[in-house]
Amino acid sequence: MNRDEAKTILLLYRPGTADANDPQIAGALGLAKQDPDLTRWLVEHCARQEALRTGFRQITAPAGLKEQIISEQAAKKITSLSFRRRRAVLAAMAVVAALVVLTPLWFQHRGSGDTYAILRNRMASVALRGYGMDLTTNNPASVRAYLAQNHAPADYVLPAPLEKTAVAGCAIEDWQGTKVSMICFRTGRPLPPGEQSDLWLFVIDRSRVKDAPPVGSRQFVQVGRLRMVTWTEGDKLYVLGMEGDEQALRQYLQG
Amino acid sequence: MAEGLDFERLVACYYEPLYQFAFSLARDESDACDLTQQTFCIWAAKGHQLRDASKVKTWLFTTLHREFLGTRRRQTRFPHIELEFAAAELPVVSPPTINRLDAGQALAALARLDEIYQAPVALFYLQDCSYNEIAEILDVPLGTVKSRLTRGLGRLHQLLTGTTTQPQPPNL
Repeated sequence: MNRDEAKTILLLYRPGTADANDPQIAGALGLAKQDPDLTRWLVEHCARQEALRTGFRQITAPAGLKEQIISEQAAKKITSLSFRRRRAVLAAMAVVAALVVLTPLWFQHRGSGDTYAILRNRMASVALRGYGMDLTTNNPASVRAYLAQNHAPADYVLPAPLEKTAVAGCAIEDWQGTKVSMICFRTGRPLPPGEQSDLWLFVIDRSRVKDAPPVGSRQFVQVGRLRMVTWTEGDKLYVLGMEGDEQALRQYLQG
Repeated sequence: MAEGLDFERLVACYYEPLYQFAFSLARDESDACDLTQQTFCIWAAKGHQLRDASKVKTWLFTTLHREFLGTRRRQTRFPHIELEFAAAELPVVSPPTINRLDAGQALAALARLDEIYQAPVALFYLQDCSYNEIAEILDVPLGTVKSRLTRGLGRLHQLLTGTTTQPQPPNL
């Protein structure tokens, strides 16, 4: 093995790992001990390796990701159980009575992950990741009719500027077994290729979300590329998001 | 049997390294979150089929990588540019700076590698996976992994320092 071959082999060497047990690497390390030039190269190489490892490991998961994964899985389990119960109801009418009793309990025993922060992150993910509109229309009345027909929140109250903003369509999202109305708007700015809207309003029954902000307060937050604002009005929780700054978002709130 | 593993504990153990791997591949927070979440969804549905609990880590990383490739296939917004054509435009990090790389710089350098080298190099640095584990995760032979790593790392170091450690992979 010559010096260049040793360098090639040592490219794969990570100090402090089991790599040194690899026979080829062990051989190259042995050569480095006898060759001052190679030793110098190896010291620099190890420093680079460590810097790169440190760099990669500085990537941190966003806050709430773990809780979101766990809570969504818990919700799926509950949905699955409910489905089984429904089949049992078909088999024996007596279970209907049990379901009537169990349903309120089910609502009370939802997991601790159903907070509005997790809802907000999830909806941001829907908007950013790409979504398909269930209904494409510029008619706000059609949007409400579609949502109502599909038992999603349809009696929402829009701030005056949002009432005047062009509608592009709507979709119905599922969050922990609850329907969320997603109303898509067009602000008039140039849309990225393939996009049909650039402002999204999510509406959900407030009682289904823990820690919803109190009536009268608006909470602004940055989630990924989206600036989002959340508020409560009546029995609904509203989450509005767009790419842009807070000032741009406020345009759609002030009457 | 792997089905005895507690889901919450599993998430607590692996969501961070999976996210790091996902982010190093997708380089987008939302996509990385989705990939991580989807991986655990698949685990919840199919994890019980894994017989050897010691393979959970490999299983999760393999699943995430497959999901990433699947997503990638559906997208056309990532043009493939050979490194050779772009090399002249790449900035070189000075030797003192390379020892203080942050995540952004490391990922920017990774992004400049040919796609085929990115996943093995990310696994190499992120998780200290053994070469065998990397081969298993990427579903390629061990020799191929070593060859890709040698080339990928050689390029990476070349990009960062402007110097060449000419890879000579044949006998690995």
